[in-house]
Amino acid sequence: MALWVDKYRPRELSKLDYHKDQAENLRNLCKQSDFPHLMFYGPSGSGKKTRIMCLLREMYGSGVERLRSETMTFTTPSNRKIEVMTVSSNYHLEVNPSDAGIYDRTVVVDLIKQVAQTHQIEISGQREFKVIVISEGDELTKDAQHALRRTMEKYVATCRIIISVNSTSRIIPAIRSRCLGIRVSAPSEPEIVSILQNTCKREGLTLPPELAKRLVEKSERNLRRALLMLEAAKVAKVPFTANQEIPDLDWQAFLRDTASQIISEQTPAKLEKIRERLYELLIQGVPSNLIFRGLVENLVNNCDMSIKAKTLEFATEYEHRMQAGAKHIFHLEAFVAQFMNIYKKFLSELVLTDDF
Amino acid sequence: MSARKAKWVKCAFSEMNLTSSPASSGATPAKRTRRTGSLSELSRTQTENSSITQNVVDLTSSENDEEPPPAISENWIEGFAPSSSEELAVHPKKVGEVRSWLLHCEAVRKKFPAQICLLTGPTGAGKTATLRVLAREMGYQVQEWINPVDCEVVTVLGDQPSGSGYVGSHFEAFKSFLLRASRYKSLLVSQEKRLLLVEDFPNIFLGEGEASFEELLDDYSSYGKSPLIFIVADSKSRGLNISFRLFPEQLKAKHRIEHITFNPIATTIMQKSMKSFCSVMQKPHNKTIYKVPAQTVLESIVVGAQGDIRNALINLHLSSLLGVPSMPTKKLDVSVAATTKGRKTKAQSTLKSIGRDESITLMHAMGRVMNPKINDSKRLQHSPEGITESFRTEPRNFVNFIHANYLPHFKDIGDIVDAIHDLGLADCMLNEYRDDNLSVMGLNLAIRGAMLANKEPISGWIPVRGPKKIQVKADASLEEQNLLGVRYAAISKSLYATEYRSMVKLIAEKLKDSGQTTRA
Repeated sequence: MALWVDKYRPRELSKLDYHKDQAENLRNLCKQSDFPHLMFYGPSGSGKKTRIMCLLREMYGSGVERLRSETMTFTTPSNRKIEVMTVSSNYHLEVNPSDAGIYDRTVVVDLIKQVAQTHQIEISGQREFKVIVISEGDELTKDAQHALRRTMEKYVATCRIIISVNSTSRIIPAIRSRCLGIRVSAPSEPEIVSILQNTCKREGLTLPPELAKRLVEKSERNLRRALLMLEAAKVAKVPFTANQEIPDLDWQAFLRDTASQIISEQTPAKLEKIRERLYELLIQGVPSNLIFRGLVENLVNNCDMSIKAKTLEFATEYEHRMQAGAKHIFHLEAFVAQFMNIYKKFLSELVLTDDF
Repeated sequence: MSARKAKWVKCAFSEMNLTSSPASSGATPAKRTRRTGSLSELSRTQTENSSITQNVVDLTSSENDEEPPPAISENWIEGFAPSSSEELAVHPKKVGEVRSWLLHCEAVRKKFPAQICLLTGPTGAGKTATLRVLAREMGYQVQEWINPVDCEVVTVLGDQPSGSGYVGSHFEAFKSFLLRASRYKSLLVSQEKRLLLVEDFPNIFLGEGEASFEELLDDYSSYGKSPLIFIVADSKSRGLNISFRLFPEQLKAKHRIEHITFNPIATTIMQKSMKSFCSVMQKPHNKTIYKVPAQTVLESIVVGAQGDIRNALINLHLSSLLGVPSMPTKKLDVSVAATTKGRKTKAQSTLKSIGRDESITLMHAMGRVMNPKINDSKRLQHSPEGITESFRTEPRNFVNFIHANYLPHFKDIGDIVDAIHDLGLADCMLNEYRDDNLSVMGLNLAIRGAMLANKEPISGWIPVRGPKKIQVKADASLEEQNLLGVRYAAISKSLYATEYRSMVKLIAEKLKDSGQTTRA
């Protein structure tokens, strides 16, 4: 059995729940024989991947839905073997080069060469090119992006590239100009509510409107998260009640807890414990920028107005450094230490003013 | 095939200063040097040095008082070699260990003649000297393996030197040396007892040859007829460490290899032997060459040599030659604490521009960074620059170590802020690959940050920890993967961790539970 996220994912452009005008445009795009490189951009959980799959189906027919997963092995110039998982059909190949870390350049170049050097077997009625879907393109290193730019030009006859990114700001201009950008904005709250209601209807459940509203709020307009939460809530308790508990994301709860620990005690020993917790999160695979953001949000929400500005100032400084550096833990720790310092000073001043 | 050549008559014209018999003067032969004296030419592939001169017909001993030519003989260093075990600069306990091993060899000579011993220690700790002196005292003839320079001799059959024959030859030569030299004695040598010495390891063992070396030792312990001694100098890196690579523990256990470790020579012993060197210099036949240097220079030499007596002797030789200006010395910042007897603190100095470079280990350096010492003049005793210099080849590693260890040494969160601020900046600088100097600057910054930010360091024993390696966990369990189906492969690790994991885990658990209940 599949997850609801996959089970009720629209398969055709005409069946999409929102951004219908855009879907129409995409259909028109497919009608032409030629087809540019595409870049889908928008926040996480807004339906980029869904639209890409619908588009591919529109072009190649239902054959693209026969998926197989495959582990490909690449050898870096330094003779290191890296394995990357791919999902492919006869017409397309989907890959996540960011999992290869700093070796993503090798993956991008080798993969595209492998795919692009073979022509489609049956051209009749089909397109004469294959499509490579690169997800999380903004996680690609600059090096890999430059390599991608060259290969995009070179193999344009046999392959097209669709990149899915969260933000175009981390994509080099050369690639941005070579792709047709398609913005997929997050669904609005009523849209999510109606999708959740529809899903429940198809599952034969009734969803109280209050619960739906709370789910939407908690999901931060992330449709995938909303659907997963809905399913997890269903697993916990059916039939739904209006005030039933919605399961939390583990790492968010963990971060909240970390933030309250920072506020409770400001000593080197505590900092050491916080460091362990941050390591724990990094080991789980949570990206450091999300950790940073979550930490800042939680801390700012919990501290006095007078030190909020200062906290944010430090946050910007260390966030910037984290992007420039390689050891993210240094900068996370630096921010925590700074916050502890200003919070401690704030507390001691508070005690003083209370006394007099 | 090894033509053994021994001295049976002494040339009257060379090595005059060596030939005095041990009884008549302190200056006697054979210290650590590989004596390829003018007489004993290197013969063919192998040469063993007969370092023992006692049995040589000494033609010159009676003319000992005559003035030698004022030139320095080629192997002047032998003039300073110890002649008896009392004169050795090595700690008496170590000498005792080696001696008892030799005595043990003698005791079991009939039954197990092929005893093996391994001597290790830093350079210039007196390993070879100890062995040679003891061998002479106990009447052993030392036969040493020296790597042959010329290999063509081995391809005797007139074949074209083919690739394989050429490669194998060193090994074969070494093997035949071990087996034959231990069995058959030279016609020209009167001693019965022989001792094999290997200080020069054939190159073939240093690469991948551990297995063949082990085989060789197996052969030797069953066929060899004399004690065999390996001498290995310590080296810092593991890859070059012969004692570590060629002599693993199980091999040592298998052949009962006696492993004796030498330490660097202690300062007090070193000072004593410097004095005795000076007395050798004042001998009449040396007076034309040497003048005894000032006391400060002597002390500086001892400090600079860091337990390496060979190095100390070379420096002494250089600084005491007649007509050489006094060596410049520089003050060290180290001040010796006043003793209970009320001696004044004495500033140590070392030779400028000559002497060994100080090298420190990572742990040592961590200690200097974490517990910085401030000296009387309110300056850091170990300068951050000095530490930076020692680790400029691996800045990233050192910075990671600082990060892993600095926290427990701090008392105040305000100080930590400064330190971690600098560490973060150092990280950015290390990540900048376009300029080589930046990484060194970054390292310096990180070291300074950790040293200076700490206003009141916590002292006490805090163990050093290694930096943590982040390995992203292997993701979803099988049930979770099944839930996601084939699409799972397209979800990146970070996306899975942030969006899917917590929910999918809940759903998968529930499914599993319900599956179990229905089955039950």
